[in-house]
Amino acid sequence: MAKLILQWLKFVVLCGTVGAVFEDQVGKFDWRQQYVGKVRFAHFDTHVQSSKKVVVATEKNVFAALNTRTGELFWRHVDKTGSEGNIDALLLQGADAVLVVGNGRLLRSWEVNIGGLNWEILLDSGSFQSACLVGQQDNVKYVAVLKKTVISLHYLSNGHQKWIENLPDSETVDYQAVYSGGNGEVYVLGVVPHSHIAVVVYSVDDGEILKQFSVEAAWLSNIQTSCAVVGKGMLTCVDSTTLSLYMLDLHTQLQMTQLPLQTLGLEVDPGFHPTLVSTQPNAARQPLSEFFLQLGPEHYVLLQLNNGQIVTLRDFKPAMLVSFATTGEKTVAAVMSPKNKTACGLNLFSADTGRRLLDTTLIFNMDPYGGKPETLYVQAFLKKDDSVGYRAIVQTEDHTLTFLQQPGRVMWTREEALSDVVTMEMVDLPLTGTQAELEGEFGKKADGLMSMVLKRLSSQFILLQAWVSHLWKLFYDARKPRSQVKNDVTIENLSRDEFNLQKMMVMVTAIRKPVNCRLHSFCFSSFKLFGIDSKTGTIVWKHYLDNIPSNAAFKLMVQRTTAHFPHPPQCTLLIKDKDTGLATLHVFNPIFGKKSHITPPALPQPILQSLLLPLMDQDYAKVLLLVDDQYKVSAFPSTKNVLQQLQEMASSIFFYLVDSSQGRLSGYRLRTDLSTELIWEVVIPPEIQRIVSVKGKRPNEHVHSQGRVMGDRSVLYKYLNPNLLAIVTESTDSHQERSFVGILLIDGVTGRIIHEAVQRKTKGPVHVVHSENWVVYEYWSTKSRRNEFSVIELYEGMELYNSTVFSSLDRPHAPQVLQQSYIFPSAISTLEATLTEKGITSRHLLIGLPSGGILSLPKMFLDPRRPEIVTEQSREENLIPYAPELPIRTEWYINYNQTISRVRGIYTAPSGLESTCLVVAYGLDIYQTRVYPSKQFDVLKDDYDYMLISSVLFALFFATMISKRLAEVKLLNRAWR
Amino acid sequence: NLHKKNLIYYAGVSSQSNGDRFKIEGRAIVPGVKTQDWVSTARVLVEGEEYVGFLRTDGSFAVNDIPSGSYVVEVVTPTFRFEPVRVDITSKGKMRARLVNFIKTSEVIRQPYPLQIRGSPQSYFMRRETWGWTDFLMNPMVMMMVLPLLIIVLLPKVVNTNDPEMRKEMEQSMNMLNPNPELPDVSELMTKLFSGSKGSGKAGGSSKGTRPAVKRR
Repeated sequence: MAKLILQWLKFVVLCGTVGAVFEDQVGKFDWRQQYVGKVRFAHFDTHVQSSKKVVVATEKNVFAALNTRTGELFWRHVDKTGSEGNIDALLLQGADAVLVVGNGRLLRSWEVNIGGLNWEILLDSGSFQSACLVGQQDNVKYVAVLKKTVISLHYLSNGHQKWIENLPDSETVDYQAVYSGGNGEVYVLGVVPHSHIAVVVYSVDDGEILKQFSVEAAWLSNIQTSCAVVGKGMLTCVDSTTLSLYMLDLHTQLQMTQLPLQTLGLEVDPGFHPTLVSTQPNAARQPLSEFFLQLGPEHYVLLQLNNGQIVTLRDFKPAMLVSFATTGEKTVAAVMSPKNKTACGLNLFSADTGRRLLDTTLIFNMDPYGGKPETLYVQAFLKKDDSVGYRAIVQTEDHTLTFLQQPGRVMWTREEALSDVVTMEMVDLPLTGTQAELEGEFGKKADGLMSMVLKRLSSQFILLQAWVSHLWKLFYDARKPRSQVKNDVTIENLSRDEFNLQKMMVMVTAIRKPVNCRLHSFCFSSFKLFGIDSKTGTIVWKHYLDNIPSNAAFKLMVQRTTAHFPHPPQCTLLIKDKDTGLATLHVFNPIFGKKSHITPPALPQPILQSLLLPLMDQDYAKVLLLVDDQYKVSAFPSTKNVLQQLQEMASSIFFYLVDSSQGRLSGYRLRTDLSTELIWEVVIPPEIQRIVSVKGKRPNEHVHSQGRVMGDRSVLYKYLNPNLLAIVTESTDSHQERSFVGILLIDGVTGRIIHEAVQRKTKGPVHVVHSENWVVYEYWSTKSRRNEFSVIELYEGMELYNSTVFSSLDRPHAPQVLQQSYIFPSAISTLEATLTEKGITSRHLLIGLPSGGILSLPKMFLDPRRPEIVTEQSREENLIPYAPELPIRTEWYINYNQTISRVRGIYTAPSGLESTCLVVAYGLDIYQTRVYPSKQFDVLKDDYDYMLISSVLFALFFATMISKRLAEVKLLNRAWR
Repeated sequence: NLHKKNLIYYAGVSSQSNGDRFKIEGRAIVPGVKTQDWVSTARVLVEGEEYVGFLRTDGSFAVNDIPSGSYVVEVVTPTFRFEPVRVDITSKGKMRARLVNFIKTSEVIRQPYPLQIRGSPQSYFMRRETWGWTDFLMNPMVMMMVLPLLIIVLLPKVVNTNDPEMRKEMEQSMNMLNPNPELPDVSELMTKLFSGSKGSGKAGGSSKGTRPAVKRR
């Protein structure tokens, strides 16, 4: 036993040194970018004069405070995804931010300065309608929450409920809005569609109904979209059918007065639903009597309610966005109007007169590859000379936040689309011009010995020149203080480094538009492409594209790498509508982001499968095969050369299709006429289990050693079938006792089932990694309530059937299957394996945890040959004795304290160094780093002590000199004797 | 009448769903660190990310809306490490907290409830091997080199080798240590080695290697 422990300790020590980060490496080759998602509510923190905070609540269920000077996060709170963490309302009062979360399930109050919770209370069930702050005598003390059937009032200080009242006639009346003007009354506004408005007035003190009345309004269906309370409690509504304003004084509750817009000289754009924008700067006081009326997509009017009369203050046409902002007692209106194709102008107007304020113009330059401005948030402040200054945040359709300061300076931008990365690839950077020239020399036909020599000499001279200038730059930069050294990354100076560690990250982000999506039968969304430099995290290019299906699936493929100069690299993005299966292709250059001039083929048929073949056309672009629902195959690019190659290769091209709804897996073969032939089919009964995921091996994976050396010096050969598919199924029966997770290993060419395993009393979500000769998967054990890992390894045995080439059609022996399972002491979010250039480096599993850490677990721990009893042989093989629980050591977190929220995916790519694997983790945040699974064995470590080695060398040199001299003297003395 | 029925039905549903849901309460502290400094980065995770709670400014927390069952409750922050706790909630809402044990899942080692979770600083980094004189001197290779050198240099000075009695004594002790006369004497070996190295040093000398020869003449 003691021996066992000793062995164990030895291994722990041995492995502990692997995959860890040293403190001085922080930020050296890793970076993190934190995002919040598309902003739904934003409020500038104004309770302290010098506050630099803007508080935002987003569609990603994130509540955060941003620094207005830098755009970085002060703090951020990430709630549950889905409707349970959905933020329904955000109200800011002083240093307290009140949030309604999860369709009115929870009411939370946050301390904005620290970012801690003040209180949280559970509300009664019922769907949330509206919330507002309630004040009395210039003092905001309560928050009112309106639900479908009840209204409740809570203290702002501790969340305690002051009173709760059932709403009268809540079965017929649709209560939609709550309003308080600070006079001790709370107004609840409801509507009976196409009949009347119902108003209930509650007393703030005890919840007693003070008044209740209804007013005829047959034209009204939704208060929130078409009404606003203006001035001294005047409910103002706009109707698009009668084209009139309706006004109702909530205090005198007289008839609703109709005011046709024509009498004001206003005209609504045809087909446009007009809306109102009002402002209530202080919850304890009445709203302002000025408000905006939007008459068209680019047409606003500033109106004023003056003694029951509507006065037009100013007409804004064209105007894209408007917003009110208040500082002290002054309220201003900011209006954004288009200037030319690429720029917008932002101007400030006095709210009570409509006069333009001097020197308040701000130019907002729009990104030609970005979206249009969507929302405007303005912070106004008083300058020393009592004039009003302002800052603005503009949110565009592509979820970019831009912070502008007065003379048109962009303080910061945040690309919030990056919080929703769908898929990514890493592309090698191109060579520099000089390197490319050198490369080009080899491509050309030889033209005489002399000219070749001259060419070589000249290119070497160019290289020397480049090196000297590089040295000069290094020397020049070294003299400057560190902060001044510019680290500008532009397309021009991006070039491959000597170890290919710096790459271009091409990220595809989905921009979902949930608003009004249900209303349209066919609803479009958009996506944005990013090119990010992996070394610094700088966004090199971005491209926004809209009009794609709302529930699209994306697949990004690198058709041509940068290795084929002068042909430009080429990436293809396949965008497929999940419902109809119709797909489109977007072909672009991954280094510059430009759309390629190659026109992709139109795809009129739904696409079932796409595969990137290792075949290349004459321009070195890999061939993409697309299989449509008629089982016809089309190729892109489809030149004559490609078709000819395909015909030759057809007999060896196989592919598989998965129909998870019917549980059918089918394998096809390509015929020479590019039609297909079904060769196998496996049906997994969908009423018992459903297919969750199908994983093949990564095409760019290399396996270095064919086998493993045993303790007795024999070799156990790995079963390295490149066509092997791992299919994970989950039971449809979710009962705790009967649920199970199954795994099926199928040869994708022949359909032969290699192995099948079932884990009983378990359920998903299942995370799988399939690589080399092993499959690792993780599931939840319902019996023991814990997460478990299982590993399957396949071996050919002690002899290899055919060592030169692997053919699925000629493997008579079934492989030996070894399996072992372990307990993992944490839930996991995602799973991936490291990947290196040649596959010599040992493998690690990268595990994304819900806590935000990324754990690098040596594959050594997930080895089905781990013995229960240690023998001499197993020790020889360096096998760790079996232990049921896998360890988690804090040194194994590759991202130390740089946690990544909601990790959805980890992307690994090999670098030019065998020891180094590039890792990108994405979720709400993006984190890029390098890992060294077997330490840095091929380069000098960065803590290599040059000083020591050189001082030792010098010391030795001088010691020999001195001792030589001494020896000479001694010899001379002896000779004299 | 129908409306009334509906109302009663709704009321029934709401009370039932309230009865089914419970609240996990507790408090997390890090000794010696103000809560304000770290609460903004902390979250309470119940069974992975199935339920999420946040910390109040004083370090206490409550995770609302949890049905009965058994859950692992964990406070996560990037800077501190908190031990996870398993909380069992019966269908009647009785709470029990116990140590997490994934191997013996039914073992009960009680923990206080409401939870009291203490955090400790978390270290993610490996220590760099720093270079110091002590490390250098304590290196076995260096010890092997330095100690014999000291013996060779110092021993002849301490022990007077010219004294015949001493020599005799030493020879005796040497013979005792070295019962096998065929093995070469240690001192002999050392001198051989020393002279050898001297020779090689001469041979390995640079271009000025001819100078001693000149002087010898």
